[in-house]
Parts: sequence; C-alpha cells; structure tokens
Amino acid sequence: MSASTHAHSPVLKHHFNDLGQQHASERLGMWMFLATEVLFFGGVFGAYTCYRLWYPAEFELASSHLNKTFAGINTVLLITSSLTMTLAIRAAKLGDRAGLYRNLLLTFALGAAFMVIKGFEYAEDLHEHIVPGASFGGEIAADTAKHGLDAGKVRLFLCFYYVMTGIHGIHILVGLGVILWLVGQTYIGAIPPENYSTVECASLYWHLVDAIWLFLMPLLYLARGAVHYGH
Amino acid sequence: MTPTANPRVQGVPGLTPPPPEPPPASPNYLENGTSLWSWLSTVDHKRIGILYLLTISAVFVLGGVAAGLVRLNLVTYNSGILSEDAYNRAFTAHGVLMLFFFLIPAVPAVLGNFLIPMMIGAKDLAFPKLNLASWYVFLVGLVFGAWAILNGGIDTGWTLYPPYSTRGSQSSVVPGVVGVFVSGFSSIMTGLNILVTVHKMRAPGMTWGRLPLFVWSLYATSLIQLLGTPVVAITLILLGVERVTGEGIFDPAIGGDPVLFQHLFWFYSHPAVYIMILPGFGVVSEVITCFSRKNIFGYHAVAWSSMGIAVVGFLLWAHHMFVAGISYYSALLFSFLSMLVAVPSAIKVFNWTATLYRGSITFQAPMLFVIGFIILFTVGGVTGLFLATLGTDIHLHDTYFVVAHFHFVMVGGMVLGYMAGLHFWWPKMTGRMYSDWWSRVSAAIIIVGFFLTFVPQFYIGYHGIPRRYPNYPPEFQIYHVLSTAGASILGLGYLIPALYLPLSLFYGEKAGANPWSATGLEWASPSPPPVFNFDEERMPVVVCGPYEYALGIDQLGRGLPEPPGPGGAEGPAGRAGVTGPAGPMQKETEVVG
Amino acid sequence: MNDLPPAVPVAASTHAVDFEYAFWYITAAVTVGSLAVFGALLYFCVAHRRGAEGTGSTPRILGSVRLELAWTLIPTVIFFSFFAVGAVVYSRAMRPPEDAMEVFVFGKQWMWKAQYPNGQRVIIGGNPRNMLPQEREKIGKLVLPVSTKDSRRPVRITLTSEDVIHDFGIPAFRSKMDALPGRYTTAWYEPTKVGEYHIFCDQYCGTWHSLMVGKVAVVPQDEFDRWLAGLSTAQGTEHPVDGSDAQEGRNLFLKLQCIKCHSANAEARAPVLEGLYGSRVPLKGGGAEIADEDYIRQSILKPRAKVVEGWEPVMPSYEGQLAEDDLEKVVRYIKSLRRGTTPDRTDRMPAPVGAPAERSPQAPPSSPEKK
Repeated sequence: MSASTHAHSPVLKHHFNDLGQQHASERLGMWMFLATEVLFFGGVFGAYTCYRLWYPAEFELASSHLNKTFAGINTVLLITSSLTMTLAIRAAKLGDRAGLYRNLLLTFALGAAFMVIKGFEYAEDLHEHIVPGASFGGEIAADTAKHGLDAGKVRLFLCFYYVMTGIHGIHILVGLGVILWLVGQTYIGAIPPENYSTVECASLYWHLVDAIWLFLMPLLYLARGAVHYGH
Repeated sequence: MTPTANPRVQGVPGLTPPPPEPPPASPNYLENGTSLWSWLSTVDHKRIGILYLLTISAVFVLGGVAAGLVRLNLVTYNSGILSEDAYNRAFTAHGVLMLFFFLIPAVPAVLGNFLIPMMIGAKDLAFPKLNLASWYVFLVGLVFGAWAILNGGIDTGWTLYPPYSTRGSQSSVVPGVVGVFVSGFSSIMTGLNILVTVHKMRAPGMTWGRLPLFVWSLYATSLIQLLGTPVVAITLILLGVERVTGEGIFDPAIGGDPVLFQHLFWFYSHPAVYIMILPGFGVVSEVITCFSRKNIFGYHAVAWSSMGIAVVGFLLWAHHMFVAGISYYSALLFSFLSMLVAVPSAIKVFNWTATLYRGSITFQAPMLFVIGFIILFTVGGVTGLFLATLGTDIHLHDTYFVVAHFHFVMVGGMVLGYMAGLHFWWPKMTGRMYSDWWSRVSAAIIIVGFFLTFVPQFYIGYHGIPRRYPNYPPEFQIYHVLSTAGASILGLGYLIPALYLPLSLFYGEKAGANPWSATGLEWASPSPPPVFNFDEERMPVVVCGPYEYALGIDQLGRGLPEPPGPGGAEGPAGRAGVTGPAGPMQKETEVVG
Repeated sequence: MNDLPPAVPVAASTHAVDFEYAFWYITAAVTVGSLAVFGALLYFCVAHRRGAEGTGSTPRILGSVRLELAWTLIPTVIFFSFFAVGAVVYSRAMRPPEDAMEVFVFGKQWMWKAQYPNGQRVIIGGNPRNMLPQEREKIGKLVLPVSTKDSRRPVRITLTSEDVIHDFGIPAFRSKMDALPGRYTTAWYEPTKVGEYHIFCDQYCGTWHSLMVGKVAVVPQDEFDRWLAGLSTAQGTEHPVDGSDAQEGRNLFLKLQCIKCHSANAEARAPVLEGLYGSRVPLKGGGAEIADEDYIRQSILKPRAKVVEGWEPVMPSYEGQLAEDDLEKVVRYIKSLRRGTTPDRTDRMPAPVGAPAERSPQAPPSSPEKK
C-alpha cells in the first residue's frame, strides 16, 4: 500500500493525493477522536455533577481524605510532560532527531512517573480503606460517622474517584504506548521533517489526557473548596 | 449487451460521450488475491464492506431466529412453548443483536464503507487500517455477545435498566455489556473514517452542494456515531463496574439514582435510532431519483433535513422517560422538542413523493423496496407522534404500540432501505445481476408480511397490552396469532433473497458498469471496481450535481446509457426501445423554483 | 379461541376520556396526512410509469421553495397542536386534586401491595408462585369507589418500589407511572365506570414480569365502604383505632428520636415540622422548594441534599434504616402535623384516639398559613 507509483515522499500513502491532504486528514481525524473522548468523559463528569449537587457534604468529606500531595505532584508532572511533548513536535519539524528522542523519552518518563505515583496513591488508599464496597472503613468511615454523614454517599464518591482516575490512567498508559511507538518510528527513520504531523497527532492526544486531569484534579481532590461545613 | 453498445447517448454539447469501457488495467477488487488471508488482512474499503456484509447477515439470521422464538411463544397466551426465562432471554437477544450488531452497522459499515469513497471519487477511506481494525473490533464485540448468549443469555432487555441489570438479573449481563461496549468502538471508527473522508478526500469539483444525498445522510449518521457512542460507552462501563463490584453510582442503596442511567443511556440510544434510519434515507434518495429519472425535488431541503435530524436528535432523549418520574416541566420540554424532529422527516417524505412527479418510473426491486420504505416509514413516523405527545404516551408507553411503531421505522424503514441499497448496488459490488422476477416477488412478500405482523400490534398496544409479556390476557390471543402468521410470511420474504443473491454470483448475468443508468461516480467505474476504484491515471473530475437524470448526464458530465426498461422479462440489462430524454437545452426552460 | 376484546377499550376514568379525545384527534390528523401522501405516491406511480403517455422525457424540476415552505410549516403547526393537546391531557393526569383519597402502592418482584388511608393492606396482584403462603391468601383487588356527577371520588396513588423499577399501569384508566426504588411517584384517577379492569406492570422487571398483574375493581361508594370495613376487621392491625399509618408514623417519630431535634420548643436544633406539608421551604444556598411528599421523603433519606435556610446540616441519613412502609408512615405523620400538634419531647404515651387529617377526605385540606 505504501509503495507509491508516484515519485513522492516515501511517507505518502497511496490513497492520498499529496502529503498536505494526508496530514490534514490525520489531524482532522485526531480532532474528531478528541471530540469522542470529550463526550466519553463528559458522561461521567455529568453524572458526577448531579451527585455533587445532591450530596455536597459527603462529597467534600470524602474528597478531604484523598492525598492532595500525590495529586499535586502528579499535576506538575503532567503539565511538564505537555511542554516536552510540544518540544518534541518542534524537534521533529526541524529534523532534530536527537532532540526528538530526548523530548519523547522525557515525556515518557514524566508520564510513567505519574503512573508510579498514582500506584502509590492507590496502595495508600487501599491501606486506609478508602474504597467503596465492603472494605470501606478506617479513618474515613469514622470521620463520616463523627459528622453524622451517610457512609453510602461517601462510598458513592469513591466509586467516582476510582472510575474516573482509573479510566484516566488507562488513557495515560495508551499515551505511553503511543510515545514508545513514536520512538520506534523515529529509530527507523519514518518521521522525516515533512511527516512531523504524526508527532503532532500524538501530542494532541497527550494534551487532551493532560487537560482531563486538570478537570479531575479539582473535582476529586479539591471538592471541599471554600465551603466550610462540620466541626 | 453493454451500455456502450447503444449509440443513443444524450451528451451535453461539448462533453464527450462515455468512452468504451476500458479493458480493466488492474485486477478488480475481488480478483486481487483470493486467499482467505488476502481477505482477512485487506485494507480495501470494498472488501471490508463485504466482510461486514457477511458478518451482519449472520447476525441477522441469529436475531431473526430469536424473533421467531418470541413470536412462536406468543401464539399461546400463557407462555406455553418457552419458559418465561427463555422468553425473556430470547427477546433480549433479538433486541441486542438486531440493534447493536445489525442495524447500527448495516448501512454505514456495509454500503457506506463500499460506496462513500467511490461516490466522492476517492481511492479509499482516509484510514484504511482503522477501517479493518473496526471490523475486527466488531468481531470481538460479537464474540462477547455470543459468549453471553451461549452462557445462558441475558434477560434484561436491550435497555439494560438498573437496578435490575445490576442486582436483579441472574444472567450473563457482563459479557453482553462488554460486547455492546466493544462494538461501539467499531461504530466510532467507521463514523470517524467516513467523516474525515468526506471532509478531506472529495474529488476535484465534488463540492458540498454536489454530494450525493447518500453521502449527506451518512455524514449526519457518522456525526451521531462519533458524538453519541462515547456517552453510552462510559455509561456501560459504570453499569459493568456496578454489576461486578456490587456497588456503583446507579445503586439506590447508597444514594445512587437509577433514572440517571436512563438519561445517559437514552442520550445515546435515542440518537442511535437515527444512526439506524438516516442511512436508509440516503438510499431512498439515490434509488428514487434513478428509477424515476428525475432530479431530487429540493436537494438542499433533503440534505439539511438529515443534518437537522442529527442535531435535534440529541435533544430529545427524555421522551423515553415521560412516565419514569422526570419532572413535569422537563416532560413538556422534551415533548415539544420531539415534535421538532418530526418536521425534517416529514419534509423528506414529501420531497421524495414530489420527486416522482412527471417521472418516468420503473419498478425494479430497489424501487419496490423504496416505495415500501416510504409507506412503512410514514406509518412508523406518524405513530411516533402519539408517543411524543405527552397525554397519549402515558397510556401507550411500554405497550405493543411502541413495539409496532419501532418496528415500522426500523424494519419497515431501515431494513427495507438496506434491502433497497443492497439490490441497487449489488451489481456494482459483485458485477452480476440477480433474478429480477424473484427480487420483485421477495419485495412484495416482505411488505405484505410486514404489514400483517405489525398492524395487529398497534391494535393490542392501543388496548394497553404491555411489551415483554409472554403471559397476556387470553382475549388478545387472536391478534398475536395473526402477528405470528405475518412474521412467518415476512421470514419467507427474507429467505428468497438469501437464495437468489448468492446464486446470482454464479448464474447471474454480467452487470456492466452502469446497469441502472445512474449518475453517481460509483457507476463510472467498472463492476466490480478495480482495487483503487478508478483508473488511476484518470481520476474523476466532477462537473455537476448528482441526479441530472433529466439532462441525461452523470456527475462527470458524460451522457448516460439507456436506462433499463420497465418490463421484468428482459431484466435490467435488457434495453427496451424507450424514447430517451430530449436535449438538455430544452430542459433548462422547465426548471421550477 | 376466546371472546374478542371490545373494539375500543373501555374508558373507565375521566382521564381515559381525555386520552380518547387526544388519541382520535391525532389519529384523524395523521390519517388524512398519510393518505394524501400515499394517494399522491400511488397516482404518480401509475400516471408516470415508464411507457405511459408523455413519459418519454422527464422535466428537470429542482424543487419549489413555496411548496417546500408550505409542507414544512403546515406539519410544524399540526405537530405543535398535538403537543398542546397532549400537554393539556398530561397536566390533568399529573396533578391530583387536593381532596383525593390516597392509596399507597408499592411494587416488588413480583407483586403489588396497596395500603389504604386507614392502614388496611391488600395484595393486589402478582405471581402466586413466588409468594409466601400467607401472602397468597391475601391476594385481592385494588377496590376503588366510583365517581358520579354528584360525588367525585378521585384517588391518588403514591408509588414506590422495594427493588427494581416497576410500572403501575391501568389501561382502562389510560394511566401509567413508574415505581422507582428510593423515590415516590404519583398517579391519580377518577374512576367513572363500575367494573373490573387489568393492572399491568409495564416496566420490565425480570422473570415473572408478565405475571405481575392484578385487577382493579371499581364499585359504588357504599360497597367500597363496606369492603374497606370488612377488610379492616379481617386484616386490621391489633390496634384498630390507632392503627392508621399516621399514628404508626407518630410512634416511629418518637421511637427514632426525630422528636429530639424536631421539637416545638425554642432550643430545637431543627425546624418545627408543623404545617410543613405543602409549604414553600427556603433552601440554604438560595432557591426554595415546595415541601411535597417527595421532598419530605428525600429529606429523611438524604437530609443534607436540601437543607433549610438557617439550619445546620446535622441530621443523619435514614437511608437503609427504615423499611419502605415505615418510611411511608413517618411521611404521613409529618404531613398530618398541624400547628400545636408536635408531641412533647418526653412523650411516650400511646397516641390519642382521633383521626389525623388525611383519614377523612372531607376534612379541611390544610392549615391556612400554607403557601
């Protein structure tokens, strides 16, 4: 398929007329995929909003038991990784192969660090029984009872916490896979400067995953916000 | 006899008559490798369309068997043939298979895949590998669905309402939900591919205003697939997690709200019925113009009504929930919006009918299916108004009235649209003509059988008999018996194409490039088309809009061959001596509006 | 074969009559419209078939703005008239009159139970195969008094479910409403014809969904009174006098210590509940809500969701603490609270003899300070 009868760039696929068309298609396709992703997370954000309005006290209490330090570090890591990803596009566009390697690997390292910290956080949550279902207990349960709140709704918040961060984590893992694939493509020379659009598409995805975290972080960890309740 | 053998060509002055069909320089897509692997690893959109065709035909048979079991059991008023559990599993299997695994991929993934690149003059879809991946993803979804069925089936109904689906049901809900979830991604992939292709890969001269209406309708469909499917995907994840862990956000025991699931579910599943019906609209526009030799009446109205349906379709999901405890004011709002969506559908019906005015109409199988479509869809559409109207929905909701309405739209509309499309483009896909006589017989039987099946259901629905009831008051038995009798006729109607279509591959007459004398770009290419659809040295350049039947030119500006005659005996390949249209200059004077 | 049903189903309530008007109006309109389309379709197919006179060449007609505008606007107007008619019928069906007799119906897999204002209960249908023996004996009908021109006897049905979603539908009344776990929904009827009609569960609820059916019997008022009296002797509670729901609710109100905070004295930690029902409650953080049944119920189950302005959200949730019918009793009791009727905090005495307001529909509907 990629064997072109035309004397064009080797990265031009046969069914496109020229690279401009090919890249425009790839970018449009990626933007449409991002629209899908937004609606995907939109569903669970909408559901979260309903319950957040119905059960503010429980959600604030549950949120205050999550580890903000881990979340804060993770936010910094992801924002930085968006920068390195953008630098990778620039390197690809300039044909700076070393720079491309460096920035891709940096992005990968930052993303991986995010997942490792997330893993520690989950382990801590499990240890402290900050989980929905039968294992719910420990300090968070005691606190709930102390404030006369309903444990069911605290667990409801935790359902959201695990589903939202879990799905986000899966997206990060997919992104890490894509970055590794890009490193491989760079290695075999499939990303010449005229094909930097491939890196750009990957970066669009990475930025979206980053942006979703920027919504998750305040929704889940900072829910308590300025509202003061309790004793 | 090939079309070019006929010297009567009505070209526009200055434009060339169609050149003699060139000897195929490249192998056609069917001959490009015949091993199984060459099919399983293909990235050719036409082959992937065929793969989808085979897959969903198998699903249609399975879903049909489930429907047969349901109908058979309803002959008795006390669930005398199946146990209640078996009946519940049968109607769920019927719903899940037909909706998620047949109707949603039917036209977009089979005909859309095959035709969209050809109609806009592209060599392939924008992302061929993604296209193949979508088929494999679909298969994975189907495997999960099959696992659910083999593992005892699902008994939740296709709507999967919690808390029944999360705590009540004892059946294989999780594999079924995974199957629907996975197949959703295949739907997103197809939709995304079609959208990007239509945006970026149109041939020179193929402006938005010259797109065939089939492309417009698929564009609108793809938009819904792209934006609706992810919402049901996340909803199914939440449902699955709740089912597995025993606790989740729809669980009333911890303060969750099961009605929230209904909102999220219908946010997708209402637009999803437009995923199912819009492509049928596209087929009708193509077929009705060709077989009446007319321009479509009001191109822009028909095109924009598809887009209107796609957009408004997202705003009326809660009309499925008028008696589910939603607030009085939201019920008013959603009823009002539901009336709005009926308008574009009505416009389409009027415009199709007006297209026939002063046409030169012939009644080959595709046209018969389309006439059936218009009638049945109209009935299905107007009965939908009863359900969108608040005061009448209170009584008719969840009764057989809904079942009949839905089948009139989905089977009477969409399945007939799919059959019309399949019969219209079959010669293009396979290079062979099927039996004209048998295809007409089959169309007639399907339409008659359909009426007999579903008209009694309107009646018992009006009497308030609920759906999903294997036990029902005995006085209504006669109507269920009638309905089952109709269903068996309908089944026979489907059986006939299952015979003559495959047989045509071996015994059918060779079709020629343009057996119906149609104007679309797909007909400018040989049948079956070469691997990259067109002669690569001479990619198509579009000079005019679709449906210039009155002028007698196709979208390349070349004259059309003589259309097939009205008679059945000669078959469509026969060229009866019919007076062709007059010269184009004379036509211009007759333009209305 | 069995006897055929009547061609047009019995319309046995005022709402059913409304429905029939709306139904036949829409039917007439769409029949005319569809037949016009089919007629044109058929005519064109015959007159313009190939080979017919004058079909040798086809004219190039691209459309007509005037025609298309006409067949866009006219259907729009007609469709909106459907909406308007439907909205009127729906508004009537959704707004029960204040003097309606209240019957509490709850669904569970797979039976319906009804509870009358004086506390009498009856199982009104379901699958006998999955009932307890004592339940099986109790299967009866939902008996309702018939309304006549001179005496209207509207019935308000309050619905909820113990497990999954059900739907309480009576085709003869053209009525239907989902029964949801954890929520109240309402339907109401004014039965106008004596007779026996089907009750169906219309929302799929599992294996025996199709057997979750029963009968509603509409009878003259005196027969209804006799039936209800008979029911109470046969199936009444041990304390027939204070056995009404509201009285049992009062006992629960004391037992559950609600009275500790919701007392009538000045140090109360929570609002006084007298005259709450039907009043407008200002909410913390802005907004207000009418304290209907669902609000009261939600406030017991999810007290922090809608906190009253000026009070701290300190009330614990009773979700999972109260059985469905107990909750219903407490709600009824709160509804019945009038000015000066909140018991003393130390009150442990049996309830006084005397009927709460909802026991007799003739009683003045509510205290004047409402609304």
